[in-house]
Amino acid sequence: MKKKLLALLLALCMVFVLAACGSETDSDAETSGGDSGEASGDTIKIGMIGPQTGSNAAYGTSMLEGLQMTIDEINEAGGILGRQVELIATDDRGDATEAQNAFNNLISQGVTLIIGSATSGATSALTNLANEEGVVLITPSATADDITTEDDYVFRACFKDTLQGSIAAAYVEQAGITRVGTIACSADPYSSGLVNAFISACQERGIEVVEQQSTATMDAQDFTNQFTAMASADVDLVYAIYYYNAVGPFLVTQARAAGYDGIIMGADGYDGALDYVSEGADYSAFNDVIYTNHYDPSDTSAAVQDYVTAYSELYGTTPLCFAALASDCMMMLQTAIETAGTDEASAVRDALSDTSVTYEGVTGTFTLDESGTPIKGAAVISFAYDESVGGLDGLGTELVTTISSDEIA
Amino acid sequence: MKKTIRRGYLVNTAVLVAVYILCVVLANVFSEVSNFKLILTPSIWQCCYLIILAASLNLVLGFMGQLSLGHCGFMAIGAYTAALISLAFQRAGVYDEKSGIVFVLILFLCVICAGVLAAMFGVLVGIPALRLKGDYLAIITLGFGLIIVNVINNLPFAGQNGLAEGVASSSLYQNGLGFGTTAKVTYLWVALAVTIICVALMFMFIRSKYGRAVRAIRDDEIAASAAGINTGYYKVLTFAFSAFFAGIAGALYACSNSTLSTASFSFTNGSILNSTFVVVMVVLGGMGSLTGSIVSAVIMFVLNYQIANGSWVSSLPGFIQGVFTYPMLVYAIVLVIIIMFRPKGIFGTYEFSLLRTPGEFVRWIKGLGGKKKAKPEGKEAAAQ
Repeated sequence: MKKKLLALLLALCMVFVLAACGSETDSDAETSGGDSGEASGDTIKIGMIGPQTGSNAAYGTSMLEGLQMTIDEINEAGGILGRQVELIATDDRGDATEAQNAFNNLISQGVTLIIGSATSGATSALTNLANEEGVVLITPSATADDITTEDDYVFRACFKDTLQGSIAAAYVEQAGITRVGTIACSADPYSSGLVNAFISACQERGIEVVEQQSTATMDAQDFTNQFTAMASADVDLVYAIYYYNAVGPFLVTQARAAGYDGIIMGADGYDGALDYVSEGADYSAFNDVIYTNHYDPSDTSAAVQDYVTAYSELYGTTPLCFAALASDCMMMLQTAIETAGTDEASAVRDALSDTSVTYEGVTGTFTLDESGTPIKGAAVISFAYDESVGGLDGLGTELVTTISSDEIA
Repeated sequence: MKKTIRRGYLVNTAVLVAVYILCVVLANVFSEVSNFKLILTPSIWQCCYLIILAASLNLVLGFMGQLSLGHCGFMAIGAYTAALISLAFQRAGVYDEKSGIVFVLILFLCVICAGVLAAMFGVLVGIPALRLKGDYLAIITLGFGLIIVNVINNLPFAGQNGLAEGVASSSLYQNGLGFGTTAKVTYLWVALAVTIICVALMFMFIRSKYGRAVRAIRDDEIAASAAGINTGYYKVLTFAFSAFFAGIAGALYACSNSTLSTASFSFTNGSILNSTFVVVMVVLGGMGSLTGSIVSAVIMFVLNYQIANGSWVSSLPGFIQGVFTYPMLVYAIVLVIIIMFRPKGIFGTYEFSLLRTPGEFVRWIKGLGGKKKAKPEGKEAAAQ
């Protein structure tokens, strides 16, 4: 019995040590959230749903960090309508059921303004509930086309898949590439939606889609067969839509090992992939990997630079687009609440439905269309490996070009 | 003996009916209370499908002793079958609104079809797979689970351009059997009734001659076969029976989610709904105890839900909160504790029974009867 207890104690010790290592930044953010909540009794409650754990955890933690920073800034400046903002963050682990649980739980705490969730899969489970309960839902990064519809309570701060696919096709045309291939996860609305949009945009532009491959899951760890097929089909660019956790450690290096040396193009899910590159990998493989993104952290405009500086001072890293988009969601909410003069959900919704309002956010200046989706352009960003620096530090990103929404039409 | 059997049936039926009526009445009384509508009802729905899922896997894992790691595959079949049938009926104009006797009939038709189709696939998978044993069976069922999910993905009307994407997925909510919060309260009785009927059927199965044959196979396959039991037949039968209920669990899952995506049934699902986690539930509750599976499904659900959403979490000291930000660590701790101090699971092979348990509990408290190994004797139907 003593031995058993000792073993259990040791196991618990290990768990606590592990948890303590991992959650330093999280607990910081949470404590500062608690402080702002105590500042005033009558607060505006903002709910956040995002994957804090699970395979897309980086998205959720970025969202939380960006949102927390923006809310702290708002509170220091006197709050919205003279009231402090209180953030209630929840975790959906990227799963539809968990997202629903978190959503219901937020509503039962009296939250009527919710920011989330990060992925299209989880968000699509929430849109109907938001309409049924009359709760404003702004998603920072769910790009699936049908997330927002006319006359509903759902809005977003990012462009939608068809637009992002067209932007990618517009870039491909600009770069003079005529033979492309695609790799998608057919089960995932984000991946398959983007690739379908890309394919149809390519056909309109006379770009030939030679080879189409797919994987079973978004967390696939082996892309060798797909890229071997690409190499033998002799394509110049592969449009492969995955999240950072597959791109960083697996996709790029395997593509090069399979003999494919053309351009690999991705979308906003590639953001943050460099943090997941394994040490000792062939870093030069990341040359010629480009992706469309909501914003470019190296953008010289004042809005972006102020944001990036403030964020990196606070958290010590460059903000991912998810942080910036979450901050833009908060900015949209702030504008809407101030216009409406109240934080009541239906009034805020009416304010957000106004298509003439121009929002100036970190990820650009935009207006919303009738369905509640921003009309905005994208930045095309490339990973680049600097041989002279070497190692993981040599990996960085650089802006290739920006494509405005006018160029797509 | 006969008298106790009859008494057992009476008591259990009476208690079940009472519990059921109580729940339905409570649902009607409290339907406007926000906590009941927003928290309790969705929780009961989730508990219902987890209970059916864990109990059905227990038939294969606990009673037949065959490790199957692809149980969520059958659940996916059930979920998509139910969803597509409901959408087909809506398109055919059989019902417009999610109310009325026609919709309820279609709902039950969907649930039954989901089970039947899953059982058919259970037979197809079971015939080749169950020739293998132990680790090999685990691997092949794992493979089949993945194959099923991938096939659904690539069906044009189900995965790729179907329910996984925007408009199609919300059409399940608007036109099909995807329930929002209000509808979940209205149809709570369906979830409860289906769960009670399923668990009762599983109890009847393991108490029948089939159940005894299946347990004989678990204890010694060669001896069972020497005693005249057709082991291959019984194995496939139990596997299909178990898949049937997994399919029904899938149908309930489709109801309780307003959207459907195969990502929910994959191995990398971050929630508690994946095939390995169902195995954990069965082991935790006790292999060979249906009531154990029920209890552990509820425990796992509550644990999972409270870690993510419980308001008491924020009042805990920081280092415990740190652990709670990694839910998988908490499940691991719970599993380690159970395996260390009670290796056979919470219930072991013991079945909770309304007739026997209170008396045995009193005796156990007095230290007289001790912990009697309660091999289920005769045909006493135990309550849930």
